[in-house]
Amino acid sequence: MRRLALRSVAGLLAGSLALLLPPVATSAAARDGEAPEKWTTTVFARVPSPGAPAYVHVHTNKRVYAGTYAAPDGQPSKVFEWTRSGTLLRSWAVPGQDLEGGEHGVQVAAQTRSGRLVVLDTTTSRILTLDVTRGRWRTIATLPEGSVPNYATWAPGGLYVTDYGDGVVHRVTRRGKVTEWLRDPALDGLLGFGTTGIRYLPEERSFLLTQQTLSTGDALPTNGALLRVPLEGRAPGDVEVVWTSQPTDLPDGFGIGRRTGHVYVAMVGLTNRIAEIDPATGEEVDSFPAVPLVGENGSEIPFDSPCNATFLGKTVLVANQSAIQGDASHHAVLRVHVGERGLAPYLPKKARFR
Amino acid sequence: MTLAQHSPTPSHGSSHAAPHAAPHAALSRRHLLTTGAAGTAAATGGLLLSAGAADARSGGGGGGRQGRLPRKVDVVVVGAGISGLVATRELLEQGLDVLCVEARDRVGGRVLNHELRSGGVIEAGGAFVGPTQDHILALAKELKVRTFLEYNEGNSVYISSLTGRQEYSGTVPPDPTILPDAAILLTRLDSMAAEIDVSAPWSHPSALEWDAMSLGEFIRRNALNSSGVGNLIKSWTQPGFGADPDELSLLFVLWYIACSGNETNVGTFSRNSDTAGGAQESRIIGGSQLIPLRLARKLGDAVALDAAVKRIEQKDGRVVVRTRRGTVRAKRVVVACPPPMVLDIDWFPRLPVRRTQLLRHMDMGQLMKCDAVYETPFWREDGLNGFGINDAGAARAVFDNSPASGDPGVLLAFVGGSTWRRYGPLSRKERRKAVLEGFAAMFGEKALKPIEYTEQDWTKERWTEGGPTAFHAPGTLTDFGPAIRQVFGRVHWAGTETSTYWSGYMDGAVRAGQRAAIEVGERL
Repeated sequence: MRRLALRSVAGLLAGSLALLLPPVATSAAARDGEAPEKWTTTVFARVPSPGAPAYVHVHTNKRVYAGTYAAPDGQPSKVFEWTRSGTLLRSWAVPGQDLEGGEHGVQVAAQTRSGRLVVLDTTTSRILTLDVTRGRWRTIATLPEGSVPNYATWAPGGLYVTDYGDGVVHRVTRRGKVTEWLRDPALDGLLGFGTTGIRYLPEERSFLLTQQTLSTGDALPTNGALLRVPLEGRAPGDVEVVWTSQPTDLPDGFGIGRRTGHVYVAMVGLTNRIAEIDPATGEEVDSFPAVPLVGENGSEIPFDSPCNATFLGKTVLVANQSAIQGDASHHAVLRVHVGERGLAPYLPKKARFR
Repeated sequence: MTLAQHSPTPSHGSSHAAPHAAPHAALSRRHLLTTGAAGTAAATGGLLLSAGAADARSGGGGGGRQGRLPRKVDVVVVGAGISGLVATRELLEQGLDVLCVEARDRVGGRVLNHELRSGGVIEAGGAFVGPTQDHILALAKELKVRTFLEYNEGNSVYISSLTGRQEYSGTVPPDPTILPDAAILLTRLDSMAAEIDVSAPWSHPSALEWDAMSLGEFIRRNALNSSGVGNLIKSWTQPGFGADPDELSLLFVLWYIACSGNETNVGTFSRNSDTAGGAQESRIIGGSQLIPLRLARKLGDAVALDAAVKRIEQKDGRVVVRTRRGTVRAKRVVVACPPPMVLDIDWFPRLPVRRTQLLRHMDMGQLMKCDAVYETPFWREDGLNGFGINDAGAARAVFDNSPASGDPGVLLAFVGGSTWRRYGPLSRKERRKAVLEGFAAMFGEKALKPIEYTEQDWTKERWTEGGPTAFHAPGTLTDFGPAIRQVFGRVHWAGTETSTYWSGYMDGAVRAGQRAAIEVGERL
């Protein structure tokens, strides 16, 4: 998601919040010796300056990574590394950014089979890899001018990258060649609130995507959606709306439960909540917290622009970006117990760049 | 504000010269044997013996690590302070063959127990632990080492050259000449520190400006009574850094404050300086050296003492570590020594210029701990907690350093920075007199007649060369700081100074050891 856009239209969207939100669950901290209740939320780690974390990647090396999505002038974006218990280990500054050109950011979106992080630079439209073992960066590709690479997934044919700025999904081959794979009206968001999360499901040969706002006329333009796009050969099939969000939800990154197949979607918009969607029925089966908007989740830090839900054990890690308020004390990775393990991201042997 | 010393850590483990005779070896061994480990002591005592004695135990050869060193291992860890020992443990758990070489004939580095003639154990080095120091507390718990609350009942004492002696409760002494400045200054320091990335303080947009200025200069620019509040802050920097505010980069101090927390709690000045709720909240029953001693015992013959490293060569895809006890080849090396010790090693190829510059600009603090022992902690009967601050004299920052039982009573003075420079060179007799007079000014005439007096000057420690930690002078952190954890070929860096939280403390040492082990593990 794009922080500036969020700030500029937050007031506009607030007006449409009168609509009902679904019944929601409440959080309760675990008693000593008991498994935590569903939705119990704790602070995994605060994110050091420049903060504003976007997406959390749980690596096959069992460590956790997040990039910073909104660094101010003079400060490079960074990638932070934690142990799975939340101990900060290292950080890397992103090279090649225009530090005087306004706010800039990156998102750790995926990894290669060999363990390099795939990092998307939103302001330079670059797709980078970071070898965390040696601290070496490499530019793999640059998307067309104006593109805002947002999330990425491996799938047959390469790396598929959502473009928040242009209603497009790009395909990046292993050689770094960029092609426009999907352009569809369903990806045209309102006021720049475009396409966010993407995951490839090999068993179904289809992608799930989140769309922050839908301008197709099928719903209020402030509603977002969970979309399904089949992979037919190397081409996209028809875009299907699986679920429609509440107004101003702004669905962002998501994780998929292994047992239930449910999709846990973080709502980076004004509702500050996590919704649990059954993609088989399109039903919203659960949502947290009980009272949306204020993001009260029982932890020291409320949800404040939660922007993803990445599985770590039976919890999801949520990057709390504070995109609207810009409150640095809310810049954190939160850990939310959901009671099931997640489906690992698709990572085939060919998930690498030449 | 309960200004106090923190808890330094790593060790030493390098250099050309033969190690000094360690007066603590026998004591440490005796201590080990009396800490409930009699059953295992026979198998572990070698850790604390000199090389010669250990050789004798093992028959003088055969590859046992208390005898001749192995010719080849996966990883050599240099330094058996807490950081080096933790790195060794973590690497062993990864299934690697590891040897930890230590210059001294004891483990623990800057963590050192001292057994009192009158009974009980106090710390001559790093001592305190507190909230958010989860890593050292977890390690202590794992090793069945318990903590106790630092005595903190009753009033503290503040002595000002202007306003005289006052007793007070709370954090900041109620001196009207400094109180407003102190309140504003500390709030400001906290707020600036909150913006610092603990893993890269040099990346802050104001890093150059803040690094160009000393803490002293910052105080002068921002306080009405800068000499008054500067004196108060000196009572924090002298024990905490072994330095005065004018010697410290403002950026470095802000980073240090930012480090005084953990991943879920923002670092603050008060958490660094306070007793209750701060870094001086608790101590270790039996002394903090119990932690490295018990850890080393678990590691068995993976730790080799009296094995000062003379030269480290990287060639032919291997690292050759030449020690006083022999040469060991390894795939990787972790160096967990204080910065000056790293420079003492003969490196081939030479250290990168930036790292050399970094190390040359990391000064070890100048600090000694002076303890006076009394039959009882008599100040407690007077409603005093044993903590005191004085803006002059040898005893500027004083703590109750009595063992957990309160028997005997012990008062501790941190003599650091310019106070060390004034009182350190004096004869022991002269210094003792000055320290006891400082105690008496705070707690009464009884303080002049201790039953025992002991002191530990860390600047005279061959394998540390200062304490409690290395600090950055103005203008050095932005230029050279980014090299702090940068891997040099097959050499990785541990030691508390390389930590992202609680740098300079035992907790930072544990964190750094764990991080270095992860780095090595991902490359082997």
